[in-house]
Amino acid sequence: MNFNKIIVGLCLSALIGGTFFSCSKLSEEPYGIVNSNSFYKTADDAVSGLIYAYAILPEVGYYSRGYYIITELPTENLTAKSDAGQANFELDQLRTTSTNADLDNLWTYLYRGIARANAVIANVPNVPNMPEADQNQIIGEGYFLRALHYFNLVRLFGEVPLRLEPLVEAEQIPAEKSTIPQIYEVIINDLKQGEALMTLNKNFEGRANRAAAQALLAKVYLHMASSGSSNALGYDFVGNADLLYQEALTYADKVVNQQQVFNFTDILPDIWNTEVYKNAAVSEHIFDAAVDRTGEREGNYSKLPNMFLPDPGFVMTIPYNPSDPNSSMINIGRGWNHFQMEAAHFDSYNDSDKRKTDLIVSQVVNPDGNTIELGINDFSRPFTRKFIDPLRDADKMSTNSPIIRFSDILLVYAEAAGPTVEGYAAVNKIRTRAGLGPLPANLSMSEFRQAVIEERAYELAFEGNRLFDLRRTNTMQKILVEKYGKSITSGAYFFPIPQRELDANPLMKP
Amino acid sequence: MRRSVLKTCAAFCGMLFTIQMAVGQSRQVSGVVRDSEGRPLAGVTVKAGGQTATTDQAGTYRITVEGATAALTFTSVGLQPLDVAVNNREEINAVLTGTAVDLDDVVVVGYGGVKKSDLTGSVATLKGSDLNRTPASSVDQLLQGKIPGVQVAISSGQPGAGATVRIRGNSSLSGSNAPLVVVDGFPWGDAGDLKQINPDDIESIEVLKDASSAAIYGSRGANGVIMVTTKKARAGTPRITLNTLHTLSSLSVKPDLWRDGIEEAVYANEAARNGGTPLSQLPYLGEVRSGVYFPSIAELRGLDPNKPQWSTNTDWVNLVYRNPFSQNYTLGIDGGSDNTKYSMSGNYYKEEGLAIKNAYDKYTGRLNLDQKVNHAISAGTNIILTYTNNTGQNLSAGRSRIFPVYDENGNYFRTSAMDFGNPIAIANEVLNKSKTIDVLGTLFFNVKFTEWLQFRTQLSTKFGNAVGDVYEPASVTFRGYENTGYGATNNFNNNELVNENYLTLDKTFHDIHRLNVVGGFSLQNSKTRTSNLMGMNFVNDNLQNENLNSAKTKVISNGLSASTLHSWFGRANYALLDKYLVTVTGRADGSTKFGDNNKWAFFPSAAIAWKLNEESFMSDISFFSELKMRASYGLTGNQGISPYQTLDRFGSERYYVGAQNGFMTGFGPGLAGANNEQGLTIVGGLGNKSLKWETTTSYDIGLDIGLMDQRFTVTLDYYNKHTKDLLRTRTIAPSSGFDQQWVNDGEISNRGFELGFNAHIIQQDDLFWSVGGNFALNRNKVIAMGESDRVVTGSLIEMVRQNINHFIIGQPMYAFYGYRANGIIQSLEDGIEAGLTGAEALPGEIKYMDISGVNGEPDGTIDPTYDRMVIGDPTPNFIYSFNTSLSYKRIDLSAQFYGVYGNDIFDLQKMTPSRQIQRWTPDNPSNLYPRANNTRGYKASDFFVEDGSFLRLQNLTVGYNFRPGLVRGISTIRVYASGNNLATFTKFNRGFDPEVGIDGINWGNYPRPRAYSFGLTVGF
Repeated sequence: MNFNKIIVGLCLSALIGGTFFSCSKLSEEPYGIVNSNSFYKTADDAVSGLIYAYAILPEVGYYSRGYYIITELPTENLTAKSDAGQANFELDQLRTTSTNADLDNLWTYLYRGIARANAVIANVPNVPNMPEADQNQIIGEGYFLRALHYFNLVRLFGEVPLRLEPLVEAEQIPAEKSTIPQIYEVIINDLKQGEALMTLNKNFEGRANRAAAQALLAKVYLHMASSGSSNALGYDFVGNADLLYQEALTYADKVVNQQQVFNFTDILPDIWNTEVYKNAAVSEHIFDAAVDRTGEREGNYSKLPNMFLPDPGFVMTIPYNPSDPNSSMINIGRGWNHFQMEAAHFDSYNDSDKRKTDLIVSQVVNPDGNTIELGINDFSRPFTRKFIDPLRDADKMSTNSPIIRFSDILLVYAEAAGPTVEGYAAVNKIRTRAGLGPLPANLSMSEFRQAVIEERAYELAFEGNRLFDLRRTNTMQKILVEKYGKSITSGAYFFPIPQRELDANPLMKP
Repeated sequence: MRRSVLKTCAAFCGMLFTIQMAVGQSRQVSGVVRDSEGRPLAGVTVKAGGQTATTDQAGTYRITVEGATAALTFTSVGLQPLDVAVNNREEINAVLTGTAVDLDDVVVVGYGGVKKSDLTGSVATLKGSDLNRTPASSVDQLLQGKIPGVQVAISSGQPGAGATVRIRGNSSLSGSNAPLVVVDGFPWGDAGDLKQINPDDIESIEVLKDASSAAIYGSRGANGVIMVTTKKARAGTPRITLNTLHTLSSLSVKPDLWRDGIEEAVYANEAARNGGTPLSQLPYLGEVRSGVYFPSIAELRGLDPNKPQWSTNTDWVNLVYRNPFSQNYTLGIDGGSDNTKYSMSGNYYKEEGLAIKNAYDKYTGRLNLDQKVNHAISAGTNIILTYTNNTGQNLSAGRSRIFPVYDENGNYFRTSAMDFGNPIAIANEVLNKSKTIDVLGTLFFNVKFTEWLQFRTQLSTKFGNAVGDVYEPASVTFRGYENTGYGATNNFNNNELVNENYLTLDKTFHDIHRLNVVGGFSLQNSKTRTSNLMGMNFVNDNLQNENLNSAKTKVISNGLSASTLHSWFGRANYALLDKYLVTVTGRADGSTKFGDNNKWAFFPSAAIAWKLNEESFMSDISFFSELKMRASYGLTGNQGISPYQTLDRFGSERYYVGAQNGFMTGFGPGLAGANNEQGLTIVGGLGNKSLKWETTTSYDIGLDIGLMDQRFTVTLDYYNKHTKDLLRTRTIAPSSGFDQQWVNDGEISNRGFELGFNAHIIQQDDLFWSVGGNFALNRNKVIAMGESDRVVTGSLIEMVRQNINHFIIGQPMYAFYGYRANGIIQSLEDGIEAGLTGAEALPGEIKYMDISGVNGEPDGTIDPTYDRMVIGDPTPNFIYSFNTSLSYKRIDLSAQFYGVYGNDIFDLQKMTPSRQIQRWTPDNPSNLYPRANNTRGYKASDFFVEDGSFLRLQNLTVGYNFRPGLVRGISTIRVYASGNNLATFTKFNRGFDPEVGIDGINWGNYPRPRAYSFGLTVGF
């Protein structure tokens, strides 16, 4: 009867079903997910892995905002608008605590960058069938990026954990702080690896080459040398500072005198013209965090200019180059008025310094054609035009964040060389471009170096160098407090390590 | 009125006539007995003097009445007895009401049912008719206060918002804590948004609370199981029922906002000045700021000699909120022959939100068919279709009264180019719509091999589709501005396929051994696909998101997550002499979601019960209709993790490498997840091959008492749940390059006590009064969390720059962690002495306490490491509810109260305008509220912690049942008025409802309505 057949059928299907799944492995087929099982297999994977390591740089938390908040607010250069939030003001007033959100943010991004660089350094050597030169270049760039992140970390926080291997298991998480000399050893070693593995070719925007490694190495040696000789906190390990100055000079010389892919730009506004520095065969921009206004999200494009630009209630137009009477007018939009220039910085320029007249905007033209003056104590204040994009698409801008600039290395060269002919020549080249006369002759070593540091304050203003220059010369108190009347409660030389790290890393102590 | 007087007179005359005529005659009386919903009741005992009769399947009876008999008595176990005067009638129809559960009722427990009296585990049951009649877009909301041990938190009054449901506390740190919902034997997933079921279609809801009953759902049972049973087809002549509910709502609390623009401006100026704004830059000085004129205080007051008094005084509450009207209609029909039965219904539900232009529409259709193929095989299907449409959003009424809605040109008024807070602009111009379609179908075959052995196979599918439409114009929201118009279409598709096959054996041996065994296997496949299409930068706003391709920038994302669950399950119930009951249950689950090292999990449980009332030594004590002791022990699991979480997953990002190559795509370690509130992207993606389920070991001891034929019932339970291998996203040191990783570590315990009682206090001819209530107490404690003593949870709160909710060893979950505050600083010395510096030490600021320091004693500074502590607990000490119902003749009245006691709320909205007015000033040295200061960085402190206890008059219903047969063709008519959320007694911030979410934070959610409903139930 039909009924029996149904029963037999049901029993059979039950049996089959039961057997079927008791044997099944229940393994998971990930959908839309790349992971270590499927990646680092081809040369394209290697490039992609490196691109990922670079992509951390223009993130909001890093060079598109976070880095400038942390390096510029504590100095006499910038303060923040009144509703910028607690974390900004803690930095501005140098009273940072371990819960400072901005510091937590940058710390996190620095280590994310290190994790990505570690993945490149560890995995790319194992990619099969890859031309050795390509492999070396990529690994070298990985070393360069890791060194850059650690150099930022050691200058910001001092002793931090060293992570040199990709993290694949949670057991690797607890890590002790390493000492400052241990961290510098890694940085120098990485940069020397980078120098050896990379070529001098500059094929891509926003990627490092040999000159970038040499330039960064010069900065690293100079930071150590000057910190050691000025007895800055944490740098007693630096024995003979002169040897390190010599190393700084050697590497700065390689950049200044021994290569042609980067060079001095004669006209100040041209240094900051995206269409120039992105397209010229030779530019000042040795290494940038690169962005483009066609990107999809912030980090691919930059909103950094909005941080510097005021919001006077209208779209601003300014002359491209105030020193050139035939200069065209450019429309630079309006910003968020987040950073506000401090009078201390603005008033300290020599009045004929082009870096003030040409690179700081004190009057803007509104859409009605009226010129509006910006007062240094107003709500909408004079602002730097280093970060502008006249071709901006709403808030999407192509403004790269300059990480190493030729003029920076020229001044490193001068400072390392001291009051020699070459030293004078380097610093005076910068001064001449700024419309200033040469430095007085016959300065002593310390007077000369002090003068170069001062030159850096103007030449490299708003580029995230000033805080480190003050720290490495042990002059935080002398300049910020005694000269400019700021107060320092905490974080003068090293910022506190973020609480989240202290809480989650059992081997970490404040 | 006049009519009823006439009727009363007629009845009175009739009675006199009856008395006169009642001499020794006997005659036949017949009629139909129905329940309160108009359904015929079978097996009702009808007594008339010495005669007894019983109703048949159609509810009809026929009885011989002696002449002297004045009344018929209708009784049925579990229902309220009814006496009806005969009055010389030949047809007497009766309606029996009652809520008590019959001990012979079958309770659904998963893969079958057991008689209520045979339950060994802790299972609560609720009839569909006991649900409150009030607008509820999801059924979960209606469970609040109904079942002891089931906590329902409704933190938002927005139409379509779900609820948070917890059974016996929280037992998972970051896996799901929601119970499993099983509808008609089909496991649907987490409770909380049960929108697909029309409350009018619910026959019963069973809640499996302990391990013994929930272990049959194995790795999904640890949070308890809610079994929903929809109304089944019944044979008989077609019955049609119509339910309607019309509701008018209003705000249940008065928003605490500025009532006066002058005070608002004074406060704003003072806050800016104290916050460090130069005097010349204060907001209200009668100057133009970013193109907008801000009046001065004098001008607002009308004291400026050169200007007229400022006339704008916008009442945003009136503009933003309304008294919404909601409707609900259900039409149902059921009937059929003994071989083919059907039940179907259609529902339309429309709920308007309190905020303007915010509404929720829902259409539900249901079909249930049952066919007897032959004496052994039956087959059937159950199909549910649901369509919902949700439009609009929450709006804020907390905008300055000083400025108008529109400017002089009729455009939306904005206080600056960056002002995106005009609620009228948002309501009118922002598109925010979501539509869902759900199709649920089950097909089953049931084969009865013999009287005692049957096999059931069931194939169920669930298809869910949701489409969200978003458009934000450039001038209305920040996101719109940032992107020059932001449009999106978000698609979500979910497919579930479940096949369950099981044998049921039910046999009694030698009259004393009763055995019921269920065993089988099931296969479940889940697949969720999503795609999100976004467009940014539009030419204009005309097309909204209708042509995303016209956007200058387009972003697409898509994803799929799939999982498979294979299970074996079995349960054996054994009863000896009908006194001693034993249940053994087990389930083995294998899931793709578990890590490679742990693919299969097994969850056994056992329970015993002893029916003392069946013992011979109790036979003299006849008033115990039930006296049962229960004990159970077992394991259940929680697999609330997402697919692929055991694998390492790479992230992807693009980087610009120059004009020639443009953007290149990179892959590498670290998978970016959502941003936290500070814009920091949280990075996960670190794999864990050992990841597995959480295991909850629990025992339960219970006592069921029923007195006087279940007229008084009490259920008591004590339980202890211990959960280990907790799934959680461990916050890992950011120096690892990751922010979190899924791990199994940690333990939580929940202990508690539950009490439910019901008493039919008065059961007289026309008057019934019953009282019921429940009480649940749960003690939750985090016992271990791997290497951590304290872990943050929830989200970082910008205002205090830390997370409020923490998991802390030895504390209840979600405990508040922060600083202690001790009033307000009265002088600078006071502030410095307290260990504060800078602006924080100034008079009028909050005085935080220096609790400890590096050396274990106060060190004169306030720092996060040493001066923070547990400052509150959002978990109630206990939850209680009580209800009463009273009926007299055809009128009935019921009320339900619901309360929570002893929970803390972190009140982020504490500084409401009515408190800002009481702020500290040199002239008003308040110790309660700090001075005005717009740059204050608040610390998370107990300044914000308030008692959240409340007692709510949840529901009050008055109903009237018209006499059956009043209108030809209509068997029952019931009209009722129901008020919901009528009164709340609390000490909490008066501007807000004290019922917040499980996290205990008052975020200032969508306000909760007070609802007044009018309902009609008609049975044909």
